[in-house]
Amino acid sequence: MTYIKNRIRRTMMFVPGNNPAMIKDAGIYGADSIMLDLEDSVSLTEKDAARMLVYEAIKTVDFGNSEIVVRVNGQDTPFYDEDVKAMVKAGVDVIRLPKTESAAMIQKLVKDIEHWEDEFDIEKGSIGVMAAIESAKGVLHAPEIAESSSLMMGLAVSGEDYTADMHTHRFPDGRELEFARNMVLQAARAADVYAFDTVFSNMKDTEGFYRETNYIHELGYDGKSLVNPRQIEMVNKVFNPTKEEIENAQNVQNTIREAKLKGSGVISMNGKMVDKPVVEKANRVLEIAKASNLIDEEGNYIGE
Amino acid sequence: MEIKKTGVAGTLESSDIQVMISKGSNGIEIELDSEVKKAYGDQIEKVITETIKNYGLNDVKVKAVDKGALDCVIKARTLAAAQRATETSDQPDLEVL
Amino acid sequence: MDKVVDLYLNQVSTRKKWKSFLETKGIHDFSDREIDVIDHTLGLIDDEGNLVATGSIAGNVLKYIAVSNDEVIAGARFNKIVSSLQQYLFSNQIFHCFVFTKAKYSSSFKHLGFKELALSEQAAFLEYGDPNIEDYLNNLPQVHDQKNKKVAAVVMNANPFTLGHRYLVEKASNENDLVYVFVVKEDLSLFSTAERMKLVKEGTQDLSNVEVVSGEEYMVSSATFPAYFLKSAAELIDVQTTIDAKVFKNFVAPKLNIKSRYLGEEPFSRTTNSYNKKLQEILSPEVKVIIIPRLREKDKIVNATEVRKYIKTGSLDKIEAFLPKTTYDFIKNNLLELQDRIKKGTNVNGN
Repeated sequence: MTYIKNRIRRTMMFVPGNNPAMIKDAGIYGADSIMLDLEDSVSLTEKDAARMLVYEAIKTVDFGNSEIVVRVNGQDTPFYDEDVKAMVKAGVDVIRLPKTESAAMIQKLVKDIEHWEDEFDIEKGSIGVMAAIESAKGVLHAPEIAESSSLMMGLAVSGEDYTADMHTHRFPDGRELEFARNMVLQAARAADVYAFDTVFSNMKDTEGFYRETNYIHELGYDGKSLVNPRQIEMVNKVFNPTKEEIENAQNVQNTIREAKLKGSGVISMNGKMVDKPVVEKANRVLEIAKASNLIDEEGNYIGE
Repeated sequence: MEIKKTGVAGTLESSDIQVMISKGSNGIEIELDSEVKKAYGDQIEKVITETIKNYGLNDVKVKAVDKGALDCVIKARTLAAAQRATETSDQPDLEVL
Repeated sequence: MDKVVDLYLNQVSTRKKWKSFLETKGIHDFSDREIDVIDHTLGLIDDEGNLVATGSIAGNVLKYIAVSNDEVIAGARFNKIVSSLQQYLFSNQIFHCFVFTKAKYSSSFKHLGFKELALSEQAAFLEYGDPNIEDYLNNLPQVHDQKNKKVAAVVMNANPFTLGHRYLVEKASNENDLVYVFVVKEDLSLFSTAERMKLVKEGTQDLSNVEVVSGEEYMVSSATFPAYFLKSAAELIDVQTTIDAKVFKNFVAPKLNIKSRYLGEEPFSRTTNSYNKKLQEILSPEVKVIIIPRLREKDKIVNATEVRKYIKTGSLDKIEAFLPKTTYDFIKNNLLELQDRIKKGTNVNGN
């Protein structure tokens, strides 16, 4: 496995790192990313056992096409060093650092990864990093964190710890997270990295889940962290492009193809210039459309 | 490598295996409890034995209760138990993996 | 997904919730005897915050395990709560645990790798971990060609070791090639397990065919036997005796070739008397029960309960005649400490 900076990341499913049953099945749900957790879901007495289990699982379990992210323990814990070392050796795709509050913390992580890559003779740059933003300080420093490393994959808002730090808690309307969500998203976009929304843990409240997912999709988030595989399909539904969006994206690609054939320098569609953001958006739409089986090999729309 | 105390890792939950390792005197002795012992007992014991040998332990008593664990889980739990028994969990020797 | 949480029973609201959950599962004994020994309690909470399973630890004994059955995967919650309790024990360096439970739950524990030591109509006694009963028995001293020797056993609390105990052991020693004296392990009474062991050893040192060993958890003491799952406390002695005798008969006697067990006659204690009867019922014919009349000293029956009473009052002259010199000297040298223990509330009565 090797880190790929740009890929679809709508769903990042949390899997407790000390639970063999859940790890074993994690690959079958089609999550874009699987986040094996060594931190909050693992009790203090089981940190070492979870580390070994996740290590062996990454080496041998078939996780399908999912990207493998591991949330290591924080840099203020005695488990961090061994976690990073073992995950580098295991060949994880991305390491997620919890409680990130500064660029320096990410830079330390990158340095530690490089150290172990050297030690184990692994090619440098084969592991990406991402930052979980879980505090007021982290939110305010989101821009510098997002730009802290060329290996930065993305930023994730972590609602539970952040709201506690803000002297509040999660509410159904999400107003308590408004600033953090916007700040983290702005920082991620400005640094050209991914942005992930926090988990929604009340499995009974399907309506609330859709409301929140629609909202963060509107804001412009790339994806959402999930605690239950049943949420994957729901997120994908929200992130699916409409038929019009797909056709428009196909038109953009056709325009580019034609322009290339003609050797034309300026590309325009319907009298407007097709610039970089438009091209990238079209690519993203078609990528998701393919991943969600909304178009066939020839590009025909086969969604509902 | 020396066993300093009893070490145990893993749970009794589905797809897991609980491995308990303590000092022995007669090579690697395994007492395995598994619903699939008839079909997979030999394979489970083989993974445990190999893992312990690779870890550098010779005289070991192992009690294992299997709940349908994959080989990688058996290996991980055996290693974690061995690390605990040798009191090396803080700085596990990844070279043996 | 269910979450494992610590339950602190000293918090009134938690205790109430815990208790009413157990009550729905048919457990009604919440007496101090059962609750006070609990070191830690865990619960499982479902997505809506309901308590759906619980279990407690008392020393190395799992207690008050109950699981709500309206779950998707049968047994998953039971496995999770037992695993979590074990993890708590393991992290406290306890690798060997026991469970006393209703007979019908024995198979659930066996399914998790627990080994059944005894099963009666009402109760089951199981163990898990290392070292187990096989290890315990293998580590007991044995003599050459033991399977062809005449071997007997005496089980005693020896709180403390008196001439009455000595008389019983001596009798067994004279009539057999080898005698095991199992000292019951239990620190709830005046003399600690280590002190009792020491005094029995010293008091039988001249008997070369006597081996004094700790009964560990395999000689089940009524003092520590959990009764919370029984229908009534009155069943306690009966169930405990049955379980105790069955462990002896199933594991201890066959392994060590013990063919007879010597007991002191109990004319005054109704408990010990019914204990002896029950023992006889279960052990024979494989193990012969030999009841020896109590030793009388100056027309008084030698009895450890009496001895403890005189320690309390300090009248050592009254007990000197009942004790081997080794026990008497120990009491004399430690009189203040022993009296202090009595003052601090150690129970003088009982066995």
